[in-house]
Amino acid sequence: MTLRNVRLILTREIRDQLRDRRTLFVIVVLPILLYPLLGFSLFQVAQFLREKSTRIAVIGAEYFSTDFQRQQGDEGRLTDDLVAEPGRAEPEGIASLPALFESNRFAAQWFSNAAETRLLELHFVSEQELSSSTQANPYELAQEMVRSGTYDAVLYFPADFAARLAAFRKTLSERSKANTTAAGKQSRLEVPNPEIIYNAAADKSQIAFARLSGVLRRWSQKIAEENIEVGGLSAQAVRPFVVGASDVAHAERREGAMWAKILPVLLLMWALTGAFYPAIDLCAGEKERGTLETLLSSPAERSEIVLGKLLTIMLFSILTAVLNLASVGLTGWLVLGRMPGFGLPPPAAMTALAISLIPMAALFSALCLALAAFARSSREGQYYLMPLLLITMPLVILPMSPGVELNLGNSLIPVTGVVLLLRSMLEGNYWQAMEFAPVVAAVTLAACMIAIRWAVDQFNSETVLFRESEQVNLGLWLWRLLRERRATPSSAAALFCGVLILVAYFFVSFSLTGESGLARFIRVALIIQVLVIAAPALLLTFLLTGNPRETLLLRLPPRFSLAAASLLAVALHPLVNRMQILVQQLYPLGNDVQPALSELQDTLRQADFLPLVLVIGLTPAICEELAFRGFILSGFRHLGRRWRAIIFSAVLFGLTHGILQQSLMAFFLGLVLGYLAIQTGSLLPPMVFHFFHNTLTLLNSRLMPDMLPDWRPLRWMVGCNEEGGGLFFWPSIILGTLVAVLLLRWFQKLPCQRSPEEVLSEAIERWEHSDEPLESLESASCGQTTIPPLGTDSTA
Amino acid sequence: MIHVRHLTKCFDDLRRGRIMALRAISFRAEAGRIFGLLGSNGAGKTTALRILSTLLQPTGGTASVGGYDVLTQPHHVRRQIGFMSANTAVYDRMTGWEMVEYFGRLHGIPPKRLRQRMEDLFDRLQMNDTRDVLGAKMSTGMKQKVSVARALVHDPPVLIFDEATAGLDVLAARALLNTIVELRKQGKCIIYSTHFIHEAEKLCDRVAILHRGSILAEGTVSELCRRLGRPDLEEVFFHLITQYNHTQKEHSGAQPASVLGSERTCAP
Repeated sequence: MTLRNVRLILTREIRDQLRDRRTLFVIVVLPILLYPLLGFSLFQVAQFLREKSTRIAVIGAEYFSTDFQRQQGDEGRLTDDLVAEPGRAEPEGIASLPALFESNRFAAQWFSNAAETRLLELHFVSEQELSSSTQANPYELAQEMVRSGTYDAVLYFPADFAARLAAFRKTLSERSKANTTAAGKQSRLEVPNPEIIYNAAADKSQIAFARLSGVLRRWSQKIAEENIEVGGLSAQAVRPFVVGASDVAHAERREGAMWAKILPVLLLMWALTGAFYPAIDLCAGEKERGTLETLLSSPAERSEIVLGKLLTIMLFSILTAVLNLASVGLTGWLVLGRMPGFGLPPPAAMTALAISLIPMAALFSALCLALAAFARSSREGQYYLMPLLLITMPLVILPMSPGVELNLGNSLIPVTGVVLLLRSMLEGNYWQAMEFAPVVAAVTLAACMIAIRWAVDQFNSETVLFRESEQVNLGLWLWRLLRERRATPSSAAALFCGVLILVAYFFVSFSLTGESGLARFIRVALIIQVLVIAAPALLLTFLLTGNPRETLLLRLPPRFSLAAASLLAVALHPLVNRMQILVQQLYPLGNDVQPALSELQDTLRQADFLPLVLVIGLTPAICEELAFRGFILSGFRHLGRRWRAIIFSAVLFGLTHGILQQSLMAFFLGLVLGYLAIQTGSLLPPMVFHFFHNTLTLLNSRLMPDMLPDWRPLRWMVGCNEEGGGLFFWPSIILGTLVAVLLLRWFQKLPCQRSPEEVLSEAIERWEHSDEPLESLESASCGQTTIPPLGTDSTA
Repeated sequence: MIHVRHLTKCFDDLRRGRIMALRAISFRAEAGRIFGLLGSNGAGKTTALRILSTLLQPTGGTASVGGYDVLTQPHHVRRQIGFMSANTAVYDRMTGWEMVEYFGRLHGIPPKRLRQRMEDLFDRLQMNDTRDVLGAKMSTGMKQKVSVARALVHDPPVLIFDEATAGLDVLAARALLNTIVELRKQGKCIIYSTHFIHEAEKLCDRVAILHRGSILAEGTVSELCRRLGRPDLEEVFFHLITQYNHTQKEHSGAQPASVLGSERTCAP
């Protein structure tokens, strides 16, 4: 692969896209116009909220306030001022209540901000007026006033309201003067409640409701305070203390909090949609227009073509995200910055956003490219890319819910981890972000590589590139998958099995709760081994493969290999032991995990040996090997490279051990086990190795200082921890490793069987870069280019 | 230059199961000669040529171009060939010059030499009117010339034409055929597939008649006519097809399947 070709393809594709007016519009013009428009309208709404007053009709105010004068205006019309009916006496004691109204507005003291008085425009309507105009119930009339929109809300005071309030006050004051101790307790206040009639479906009405509620609440509180004092207690009786609050957040963090919720989501969605359409055009569009064939028969290699297209799509994805972000930023600064509560996000976080864009753009671009390669036309391309949007959206939006936070588990989820990381950076938690940044980066990188690999595979697949028949039919595909089974699973099936096991493992480990103790431990271990690990692998073996024996490597191994495997386990044990200690030091167990683990170790130490050997030694040796070195390894061998198969199966094996420390060790052991399985072509040596390794580890943990015989040479090799657990010193480690290396060389010499893909890739590797024509070599070896006929390639 | 030996290709189709597109065909094409693949639709011509251009991988047998094996040395093969088919289109948003230049650069021709070669080529093919015209605005004749120029820009010793005249009018088709004859004079090895019998008869030095994945007969036109006692290639062709159908009927005892969609199992 040469960079020159990649650059050629890249420049051509970019130039081609830029000559397309539609692309330019969507990527450049639209964001520049859209967000300022949105921001401006948002601004308008906020202004409205702040400035616009709402119309309220107040019914029944005449019963408790005589401050109003209903007058005839100059034109002879009745104004809205109200006067008590002539001849009607003011209810007794009404003047003792704090005044709700002041001229024809609410009194200023009932607002948190005096300037807000003008926001509630009051129109007073007397109940008499209301019931006299029509014969209907005044209450229903009031409701109709709101529904029709004549008023935004109606404040309805029942007739007795003020009188009762006043009467209660009077009673309280009389009783307290009479010095009855139970004055307050025995007075009962039955007051018909005033009511706010509003329309929740109308925005203005809701605003009016909120404002009215505030006013009345404060008025009610004041009456309550006065009542208490009149009743002989101090106002402090209801409010013994006021809760203070002190906010340690910097002003910018507070404002950044809003951006923290929105920006990561927006950014990722922009990156995804920005990759969408170029991908369709570059793959399906090329197929549609017929230019793909020419490109494929040119000297450009498939990987170069894929990389060139991928980089183009990435560029447009990043461009879309950046332009949208800039537009939003500008809008925010110019328009929203004038609004309270909105500030600019912190610059460091913005840089983090920008940097994280690159791997996310790569991931989305690769996925879009791989999916778009399926399609034969642009319309079909959109059909395949919609599911991608549907899958990504929950991953992006889910982290926005408050319960989800950045921890080890969540940072392992591909897109979600990035969102959480960005969110914590935007909130200003830099240290927390730094702690998980490597994990998120590793996961994202791995996801990118898998996606890119998949895209390259699509471009190498004849069925995808030259597909003549109609859209992929899921039912038909499944039926064929089950009906026409190959001998061994495909690499996609292997990956599926691994992911299935991981997902099942997570679910089961969350749901298994209960008392701790030996019985529970054994139960949990067995459930995980048999149901979570072995069962899926066995099920998939019988469902998807034609030859379970070959898939699960159920053959007799070469002579002596079983003995060699067990010896290998013993020889490697000191090294493994030392590595475990090293891992513990590098990544000490968290404070929450450590006590639980120690407790578990104690329990195990006291338990009977034989059951433990069966559970910890034998069962994993069988179940895990069947799954990881059986089904999964066989599938990955179709990738065409032995070590790739070993590494991938070891990765999946490691991930299934929940704790990081165990995962690392499991990965290394998985490499050894995979190697054994491939070299011997049988599952028995790895099983034996696994059994001995686990049993030795178990024995090791039960080793107590008093168990070691007092023998000088032994002291050089093995020691013991105070709390139990063996230690190996350097002499034994070196000796063991040397023996292990010799044994591994013995295994290396074993003739091992290769899968057809491995043979082919070895042949290609051998001849590809030789400039000598194969023909002459072929005839030299009597026409024996033993490249076996391949099965037809598997669809992704 | 082109050696094909027992070339086999199996396809997996969701509906039709496994299809054998090519059944162990063998032929040789020499330099300075035009080798024709004659057959109806679905015979396997496009499949064979796609294998030769490394677009598809053979399921069995070998094919080599200029001495390089298509399976294990594909990128050597690609440098040796110029491929043109009826489906080859031009890029909508590139001019004729840009497109030929693009492929020239992909072949690794240094810019200066490339420009010279392109000038020469554009003059020879009389396509200077396509230089600055975008692909979307080109006429069919212009598009065809650009495709030919693209296939020739790196001066490959082997040229593969897959039903190249399909969709062209009489004049354009004739122009293309003349170009191909020119190329033969230059000593190129040319492989030409078509379902037009008169084209094969006129143009090709040797012809292989392909039907349902097998080569029914191969040789020069006069050889074939003599061998089968027929006056011209058309009669030879139909005679062979009829004979094939009879044989199939005898062996399977069933109605001969339609040209598309015959189901056979692939030998493992």
